[in-house]
Amino acid sequence: MKVEAVLKVEKGDILGASRDFLAKLLTQGLVDYLLVPLEISHGRTLAQTLVQDPAYLDKANPFSAVLPVSSASIVSQLTIDHPGKKLGAVMKPCEIRALVELVKLGQASLENVTIIGTDCLGTYEVEDYAKLIDKMKGTAGKKGARVLDDMRQSIAEPDAKPLPISLRPACRMCNSFTPLLADITLGLFGMQDGVFVSLESELAEKLGLEVKKAPDRQPAIDRLLDSRTKAREQVFTEFRGKMETIVDFADCLDTCIMCYACSSACPLCYCRVCFFRTDTFEPESERYYRWAEREGALRMPTEILLYHLTRLNHVAISCCGCGMCESACPRKLPLTTIFQTVGDGLQKALNYVPGRSLEEAIPLATVPEVKV
Amino acid sequence: MAEFEPKIVAFLCNWCAYRGADLAGTSRFHYPPNVRVIRLMCSGSIDPVYVLQALLSGADGVLIGGCHLGNCHYQDGNYKAMRRVEVLKNILRQVGIDQERVWLRWIDASEGGLFSQTIQQMVDELRTKGPNPMRKPWQVWQETMGCQMPGIEAKPKKEKVA
Repeated sequence: MKVEAVLKVEKGDILGASRDFLAKLLTQGLVDYLLVPLEISHGRTLAQTLVQDPAYLDKANPFSAVLPVSSASIVSQLTIDHPGKKLGAVMKPCEIRALVELVKLGQASLENVTIIGTDCLGTYEVEDYAKLIDKMKGTAGKKGARVLDDMRQSIAEPDAKPLPISLRPACRMCNSFTPLLADITLGLFGMQDGVFVSLESELAEKLGLEVKKAPDRQPAIDRLLDSRTKAREQVFTEFRGKMETIVDFADCLDTCIMCYACSSACPLCYCRVCFFRTDTFEPESERYYRWAEREGALRMPTEILLYHLTRLNHVAISCCGCGMCESACPRKLPLTTIFQTVGDGLQKALNYVPGRSLEEAIPLATVPEVKV
Repeated sequence: MAEFEPKIVAFLCNWCAYRGADLAGTSRFHYPPNVRVIRLMCSGSIDPVYVLQALLSGADGVLIGGCHLGNCHYQDGNYKAMRRVEVLKNILRQVGIDQERVWLRWIDASEGGLFSQTIQQMVDELRTKGPNPMRKPWQVWQETMGCQMPGIEAKPKKEKVA
């Protein structure tokens, strides 16, 4: 049975309390390895790190406000051949959703994996986060915690304390910022002092946590959900209002340089070798001249629309809205908008919510029930 | 100007629809010559990328022909095709591409008549629809507004001619 507990926070040191908790997981042998964001580059950014020695956790930030790589891809890499290691993975809600999809696609395993889900306050673009840190005065080690404090205040009073730089587009429209499926949840929403923990009673006993009813977090969560849902609906309405012909879709992608960064960053684009990096659709050069002759002019490269439409067909049903595609895009194409809007329409039509449950099969992998 | 002749790319399953087309031929059923057939082992083996490639290369319609539900040579390939086409059509609709240009039909090996009727029907409907805008891909790119360039605002769009 899941029970609740509250980690005591001294002098507002949320990260300290969370680090101690994570260290306990390692020292008590509940996990042997911990995948967690650690500050690197003097705190200017964070990187997913596989930690074995708890001493390294002094730079850990489970509530990291920057997401350079989706840890779903990393957990896939760490578990695909069932290594049998006891892994604890500190993940944001969108990363967990993507991981659940990957498990259903046979690309990751949750065997011996403990998911430590964290409340997500939102994330900045990597370059914006570094700028924020650079602007701050004070000890390098404390800056990450201050970014977090500012975000918490901004969520509590959005009008009085706006964020210094806006969040990533995906985070601005995210409506699923608390972990759905996690073995252990670390929460910040609705907590005045202390970190919310939800875990199995057995685990709580092993960790020596005092089981205690946490304050009601729902009002704080609902408030944020409300404003995010509005932002989300607005993005959807705007995009849907625009899509009349193929020209409108091409309009969103007209400066694409076909670098494939979006597919590399997407946790759900799991193919080892992407179709588009093979020569399947690359004809002998002679063909291009023939096409140009037929049309009078031929836009090069020729596959922009095909590439994005195919990616939509392959991943939109499972799109978890992490927005890694747009963050990776050198041309900043509105990929989050495209994938989230089209994904939303598709998921609603097929009555499927990605990352909601491990039992709910991906529609493309199931045989629909039709009377013959 | 000559009347618009729609081009159809047909992906037909080896066991039913392709044999149905074969039967249409041996039975001397007439159907318009607008269709280019590509034989597949199963309608379930079609990735949407091939349908999209056909549409984006200017095909006016794509026909996917498989066995009737329950008759698949590989148990449930046609059900998979059904799901993929459902997803594909949903996406096409959402991005402003006419989803009615993609047809999924079940045609048995013994239904040569049905095959010729299907093609006739499809050609008729595509003729009323007119050519696929992607027949002129250069024009599509000409019409875009280049609004994804940072610091450059989209120019107001020209009124669309109805």
